[in-house]
Amino acid sequence: MRFITMDVTKCVVCRNCEYACSFQQTGDFKREDSNIRVEYYDDIKICLPQTCLQCDDSFCMEICPAAAITRNKITGAIEIDSDRCAGCKMCILSCPFGNIHFDETNLVSRKCNLCKGEPNCVSACISGALQYVTAKDSCRNNRETFQGFIEAMAKDTK
Amino acid sequence: MTMQIVIIGNSAAGLSALEAFREKDQSSRVTIVTKEEKRPYSRVLLPYYLRGKIPYENLFIRDKDYYTRMNAKCIIGNVVKLLPEQQSILLENKTLLPYDRLLIATGSSPVKPPIPGLSGKGVYHLWNLADVQNMAPYFKKNKRLVVLGSGFVSLQGAWAARSKGLTVSVVELMDRIMPRVLDDHAAGLLAAGMKKSGVDLHVNTLTRKIERTEDGKLVLHFKGGNTLAADVIIVGTGVQPNVDFTAGTKISIDEGIVVDKQMKTTLPGVYAAGDVAQVPSTFGGEPVVHALWPTAIETGRIAGTCMAGENVVYQGSLNMNVTQMFNITVASMGDFIDFEGTESWADKSLPKDQYLKILMKKGIPVGAVCAGSSELISTLGCLRPLIRGKVRIQGGPGVLKAMLAKEIVQHHQAFAKRNNPCVS
Repeated sequence: MRFITMDVTKCVVCRNCEYACSFQQTGDFKREDSNIRVEYYDDIKICLPQTCLQCDDSFCMEICPAAAITRNKITGAIEIDSDRCAGCKMCILSCPFGNIHFDETNLVSRKCNLCKGEPNCVSACISGALQYVTAKDSCRNNRETFQGFIEAMAKDTK
Repeated sequence: MTMQIVIIGNSAAGLSALEAFREKDQSSRVTIVTKEEKRPYSRVLLPYYLRGKIPYENLFIRDKDYYTRMNAKCIIGNVVKLLPEQQSILLENKTLLPYDRLLIATGSSPVKPPIPGLSGKGVYHLWNLADVQNMAPYFKKNKRLVVLGSGFVSLQGAWAARSKGLTVSVVELMDRIMPRVLDDHAAGLLAAGMKKSGVDLHVNTLTRKIERTEDGKLVLHFKGGNTLAADVIIVGTGVQPNVDFTAGTKISIDEGIVVDKQMKTTLPGVYAAGDVAQVPSTFGGEPVVHALWPTAIETGRIAGTCMAGENVVYQGSLNMNVTQMFNITVASMGDFIDFEGTESWADKSLPKDQYLKILMKKGIPVGAVCAGSSELISTLGCLRPLIRGKVRIQGGPGVLKAMLAKEIVQHHQAFAKRNNPCVS
């Protein structure tokens, strides 16, 4: 299975990925319509691009009260069926990474669907911070890393 | 070992248990007993259907072949007695169902306050399919709805009604709305949104009795002498666990059926999960009845897995609530009302109509509440694992997001280095 990895040491906050995603979703260039979000924290000098990690044990999919979230068998992407989504926002609350957003026009949740296997954000990335890789390839910044950070935090701080 | 498994209830906990059980055990016989519809539907969605957001068909959350695929038998029946000595349950139609392992996932039912006249045509809960079918004819312009209580479901009903053009009043006994789900400030923002949407809100209001006029209208009489007329009343004043059929057994019941970290009750072979169960809390201490969808899913999964013979334990229920109504999103998680020894972190960088507060205890987040835009909920989502993991976080009010980002990046890099030496 392939998914998008994000390397915080390479991102330069050009926001091309946000515009590419917005264009893919809506045909327009509005950052707020993007499913990938780049946050720049000036005081701590961190660029953090974030999009769905397509978790193996995705809590959003498990607890969706409308059964609107399923895994695409071909791409492996966790997808939200906007016809079934009631707009209850439970998935947004359940995502530990803040990677699900809300479509205020249609009152449904939305998230990265890997553009049916050809993610536009990755094509538009100028620095190589975003990569579309298979689980085996992902030496750095892969999903396990992200999932493990909580565990690591707990160990470090206890 | 092939077992006879019986699951009472086919909502969140029952379904989650069945699916988890089948992942581990494909051969045991499983029977699901439900007193309503065979086809599972989602109670959470009922107000969304009334508002017209989703069609009736989408209330159903599993397809028609579901039980066949799960290799399970579903029967409609009302369980009237639990017979632990015979390891059986008795249905109303006198059927005796034997079990090796039983899951009680009977859920909860709405409570009706003892107000004279609060029954009959036009008085409904917003709880099951029959309720919305009864209520749908009233959801038209110029009808008058009075909602008793101001919990999540009640206010969702009020919003659905406003969206359909009804005249809506909400009557709350306490001094503010959503007393258990929001703090004062968030409740104030939501109340302002409700009033702006045209909802007539009455707090500190005790309903004395309901009378019917000759043309069938309902009249609510309040303490102090005020009255309100209504075509339809939604009663949303809390729920209680469905445990009647356990009377006469030695099962331990407090606020719900008491279970351990594996959802085992005090009776051998009998498990409980979902709204009916009083489960361990993520904070330790007294077990809790959260009666929430995510808790039902989680506890159902633990029960199903343990019933299949696996050894998993629950990390404890963390209450989480979220909804959007009256153009404002509200959410809460964990403990969010200040108590002794806690410190409040309010995000002061937000505009006036937005609110986010994190409650800290000894440097560890224990809960949060927000009101405003959808993006605020993401912060609560990021906090969930930190609350559950009792992770100490540093920073202060105003830098919450940056603080979370920093934590994410630092630990993610440390973790990457430990696990992937190729990372420079």
